[in-house]
Amino acid sequence: MYRWMELGRLRISTSQRGKLISAGYSTLSSFSSLTPSHLARELMIPEEEAAQILKAASDNSRLDNTDGGQAIVNGAQTAWEMLHEEQLFPRITTSCADLDNILGGGINCKEVTEIGGVPGIGKTQLGIQIAVNVQIPVGLGGLGGKAVYIDTEGSFMVERALQIAEASVSDMSEYNDLLRKNRACQVNTKPSDILENIYYFRVCSYTEQMALINYLEKFISEHKDVKVVIVDSVTFHFRQDFEDLALRTRLLSGMALKLMNLAKTFNLAVVIFNQVTTKYTEGSFQLALALGDSWSHSCTNRVILFWNGDERYAYIDKSPSLRSASAPFSVTGKGIRNSASNHKRIKLM
Amino acid sequence: MAVTSPENLLSRPLITHKCTLGCPILDRCLDGGVPCNSVTELVAESGCGKTQLCLQLALSAQLPISQGGLSGSSLYFHTEFPFPFRRLQQLCHESRLGGDPPDNIFVQAVHSAGQLLDEMPRIESFLRYSKFRLPVRLIVIDSIAALFRSEFDNTPFDLKRRSSLFFKISGQLKSLAKRFDLAVVVTNQVVDFMGENEGLNGLRIGNSGALYSSGRRVCPALGLAWANCVNSRLFLSRNEEVIGEENSSVNVDDGDNLRRQTRRQIHVLFAPHLPKSSTEFVIRREGVFGVDR
Repeated sequence: MYRWMELGRLRISTSQRGKLISAGYSTLSSFSSLTPSHLARELMIPEEEAAQILKAASDNSRLDNTDGGQAIVNGAQTAWEMLHEEQLFPRITTSCADLDNILGGGINCKEVTEIGGVPGIGKTQLGIQIAVNVQIPVGLGGLGGKAVYIDTEGSFMVERALQIAEASVSDMSEYNDLLRKNRACQVNTKPSDILENIYYFRVCSYTEQMALINYLEKFISEHKDVKVVIVDSVTFHFRQDFEDLALRTRLLSGMALKLMNLAKTFNLAVVIFNQVTTKYTEGSFQLALALGDSWSHSCTNRVILFWNGDERYAYIDKSPSLRSASAPFSVTGKGIRNSASNHKRIKLM
Repeated sequence: MAVTSPENLLSRPLITHKCTLGCPILDRCLDGGVPCNSVTELVAESGCGKTQLCLQLALSAQLPISQGGLSGSSLYFHTEFPFPFRRLQQLCHESRLGGDPPDNIFVQAVHSAGQLLDEMPRIESFLRYSKFRLPVRLIVIDSIAALFRSEFDNTPFDLKRRSSLFFKISGQLKSLAKRFDLAVVVTNQVVDFMGENEGLNGLRIGNSGALYSSGRRVCPALGLAWANCVNSRLFLSRNEEVIGEENSSVNVDDGDNLRRQTRRQIHVLFAPHLPKSSTEFVIRREGVFGVDR
């Protein structure tokens, strides 16, 4: 009976406590290591609510452990708190489980993720997919946010976005049926709603691009539901005739800084696409991402998309938290999905 | 229009305007034709039908929108050969267009990349101020490769200069395409694939691992940098094929014997809105037509 006290001390509602107990979770340790989505499924509650419960549980256990050790500077976070916050916050899925896997669950908020690859590898496809997937409602494990899409190359095609949105809506209702078989709940998102929630900007020069990035802070502070900023591609206008390379470097690093600040301030994900170029080193041509070495410090994560035989692969090139790994993916009519051959492999096993 | 106001994706048609190629089978392969507000590249060795397709596009762009056209005239830049007026005349006779179709095709020769860049402001004012019955809706550059082939050396300095010109030209074309809702078509040549250790010549770009035409392995000219400058890339191939005795297919070459035929195909190498696909086509007196197999 003594350990029941633990639940009593949690700052959660009585009904939440009731649900925990009736689901068989009588101690903190019995559920504190679950993921929000797992707990949500177990208790049949929305995932954000599950996340709240887990946060309450972690706050509580920290009080126990650290004997009231408060943050010294107001507003500062301990690494422990940050770790928990990060775990609680959902990521944007790419709709390809293998790719999500190597990304540690998907595209992370508060971070700048750079994705590069040759023309036709699927950069724009991935961009559209992320702009659609950021809108997956919180109840289904998504962020329920909106997207800012900055198109510098003119490759965004509205019919393709509609196709991907349609597939996403049908996947969502399928998942929703699985999740709450016993509840009359419906996904009432329409594909056109998804298109409407993508703020699309087409920029035709580097000056326009700089102006827009400068303006984004204001735009997003007026549209707080924006959860991802996609730049497809950051490169294009910066490869046109820059006589003054020092100026280019300054502009680029200024832009990178602004994007990083946006990610941190508004707790959103920034995804920037880059082109690949050939670099002449030690007597041979090598493939490298464009914009030079100083640019490569500007992003948190770096993912390279490449062909391996007839299959598309993604490779984690740089990340402070992810181990380098690669995974196949495919571009289908519905959007980005697991590679078909990988499916076969799993089925065989 | 200020760059700082987002476009509502629902405020424009949910299908991008496209210019028909003048053949339903080819249109099906490209989901309606060549898209506006986009740069489409046709890659092929000479004699595969690039110019044929461009001429056909310049005519079909004049069709009313209800028939899949753009109800527009076109700007045609030719760089290599004299403009094929005779072939255009021939195609006009076969087309469903009334009036005098060549009147709606503005032809200009360009001989260097620099000259093309110098033309850009003039093109813009032409698009903005000219008052013709049909507004310009299509720009053809046939071929872009010829502009870059002679002037530049194979040194790192020249290659750098060349690729920054690519991006400049492409940036301006895309900007025009956006402002005037134009379809832009450029043609490109191929170079022979020189084997694995020849730099990044064989780097895979797009849906097909290796491209073959006339029995040789080829790759698009102008390299990786230029590939970043176009939105869609289509490859036209031509391969001689020995056909069986009892096979009496169409398009038999009038060569030495009747057991050879030229098999022409159009391949989607990459496009933001199209999956990988290939379609066979033939070139006849009346124009370029897809073949259902």
